[in-house]
Amino acid sequence: MFKKFKKIAAATAAAGLLGLALSACSTAEKAATEADCGTEKAFCIGVVTDLGKVDDKSFNQAAWEGALAGAESTGGFAKYVETTDSKDYAKNIALFGDKGYNVIVTVGFLMAEATVAAAAKYPDVKFVGVDQFNGTDAANVTGLIFDEDRAGFLAGYLAGNLTKSDKIGGVLGMKEVPPVRKFGEGYEAGIAYAAKELGKTIKSSVIYHAAGDTAFNDPAWGASTASQLLGQGFDVIFGAGGNTGNGAITKVAQTAGAFCIGVDIDQWNTVPEAQPCLVTSAEKKLVKGVTDLVIAAKDGTIAAGNFVGQVGLSDYHDLASSVSQEIQDKVSAITEKIISGELATGVKP
Amino acid sequence: MITLIKRRGSYYFLAVTLATLYLYSQSANITTSVFSIAVTFAMPLALAAMVGIMCERTGIVNIGIEGTLLLSSFVAFYVAIAAKSIVIGFLVAMATGVAMSLLLALMSVTWKMDQIIAGTILNILATGLTSFFYIQGNMLPNMFRQKPIPGLSNLPFFGDVLFKHGLLMYIGFVVIITLYYGLFHTPWGLRTRAVGEHPSSADTAGVSVSRMRYVNVAIAGAIGGLCGSYLVLELVGSWNRGFTAGKGFTALALMIFGRWNPMGALAAAMFFGLAQAGANQLMINGTVNIPPQFVGILPYVMTIIVLAISAGKVRPPAAEGQPYEKGQS
Repeated sequence: MFKKFKKIAAATAAAGLLGLALSACSTAEKAATEADCGTEKAFCIGVVTDLGKVDDKSFNQAAWEGALAGAESTGGFAKYVETTDSKDYAKNIALFGDKGYNVIVTVGFLMAEATVAAAAKYPDVKFVGVDQFNGTDAANVTGLIFDEDRAGFLAGYLAGNLTKSDKIGGVLGMKEVPPVRKFGEGYEAGIAYAAKELGKTIKSSVIYHAAGDTAFNDPAWGASTASQLLGQGFDVIFGAGGNTGNGAITKVAQTAGAFCIGVDIDQWNTVPEAQPCLVTSAEKKLVKGVTDLVIAAKDGTIAAGNFVGQVGLSDYHDLASSVSQEIQDKVSAITEKIISGELATGVKP
Repeated sequence: MITLIKRRGSYYFLAVTLATLYLYSQSANITTSVFSIAVTFAMPLALAAMVGIMCERTGIVNIGIEGTLLLSSFVAFYVAIAAKSIVIGFLVAMATGVAMSLLLALMSVTWKMDQIIAGTILNILATGLTSFFYIQGNMLPNMFRQKPIPGLSNLPFFGDVLFKHGLLMYIGFVVIITLYYGLFHTPWGLRTRAVGEHPSSADTAGVSVSRMRYVNVAIAGAIGGLCGSYLVLELVGSWNRGFTAGKGFTALALMIFGRWNPMGALAAAMFFGLAQAGANQLMINGTVNIPPQFVGILPYVMTIIVLAISAGKVRPPAAEGQPYEKGQS
């Protein structure tokens, strides 16, 4: 009896293995693998993250999602490498460059220099620099930039309409990073615009982190700073600066009656702790921007220089009931004016 | 020399008091708010500095504080979620801190390894483990909320600054005061310091050097667990990779600035907290625009200044960093 059982088991195992092998064969024919990069067979997309991880609930994650979406619609292959030390930017880009990847997406302002340098080394590779203004004439570099001041302006305008204490704050990352400064200044401009429209004075205070390595990764600082603002009666707080900003909005969520505004991507799902206060996010449509550029690179329609992606406010989600229809309408009207350029934010680029 | 330090300390205290009184007379609410926030900035740094003091006073250099904080905050967060209890999260985080410390003690006391390398191992271990096992999208069931202490919290100024925080903050204060008292006013403290200064004498007097080191480093680990728990369960409420943002290294500077004395380190941390909250306040008011970077470098600059001024007067425990071999002099 035992023998029989053994035979059956062996037969089953063999059949299973065969099945596995067959399925492996069939997938290999469809999807390209990394080994095919640099040949006609595959369209390869590499993402190099900035300091931080690919699931950072922010930039890196959005860029990666964009690359995945781009890979799906081009039938390509996408892979990422996480940067743990800013000295490794060039090394990490080379990981993809040396394997003959078609598109390399580098994430974050801080990698701009390394991206341009790598573009000269790999002239056949298209480089997409997320959040990097490209001031060079390199033929294979496209900076994906956003008008952060516009997104910030919309957030500020909404905040100005929501505040009851007429005190609005912001907890931001490093001011030396242009997108952060533009978010902050746009936010203040939006608040000022709302104040003028409502005919009242609103105090706006934007606090930037004390720089260094941890400017975007210091949630404890963000939380304490948000507490300081809340304690002094500020009732709408904008958190913009990676985990630092997330720390701030998480803290706001622990205070009843205060609103918080997220940044970069719709943070409703990515920072669930903030849901009690998260009225919206000043969003850069990063996923769409990266997807579009990857597809353009495949088509060959990608242009060197800079590509301005879309910005806007995210959905109100569960807090829609806290925002009156009148305010929602006003915000939509201003959004149209800001996006079309009819209304300028007045923030210098 | 001791009177000089004491006199200097009282000058510092007097200057701070006068400045506070002046600010308080100008704007009571804002001064109170700044001091209250300064305490929340200072407490994690002060507790992390206590970890360093406990270890170094007993002769062990611990540069793995950052790793201890990182791993214990991580454990506090996920255990609290899994057990649906922040108290369990807190207790397991303390146990994690102790475990990290025992690893340090094993490497540096039993195996007599280079202690800088041992500390680095702790940091690498914590970064690796937490990065690998991090899962996003989890939420704490609860947090240690603000619990004003009845009576005391009604005091003007001090009530708001010291007595309107959460449980872990209060425990932190008790730990720091206890450590100060313990180190300088109990037989245990005398033995601890003897082991850190001149282990062979302590050994001759019948104190077991390695047992003393093991116990004290373990206590330090528990304090590290408290610090990590405070950060995640009381202050922030969420966790991310690299959560502690270098606080364990800032703490080393504050430990030196505070002359390896718990009260000194608390004062140093408070000074740094005040600088941060004050800089924030300047940005809130929008009156003066000082670069935020200036505040970021303060603890390090202060440490350099203190070390430069008091070169030769301030010195670390004599035996720190050296494994003890029985019979050495």
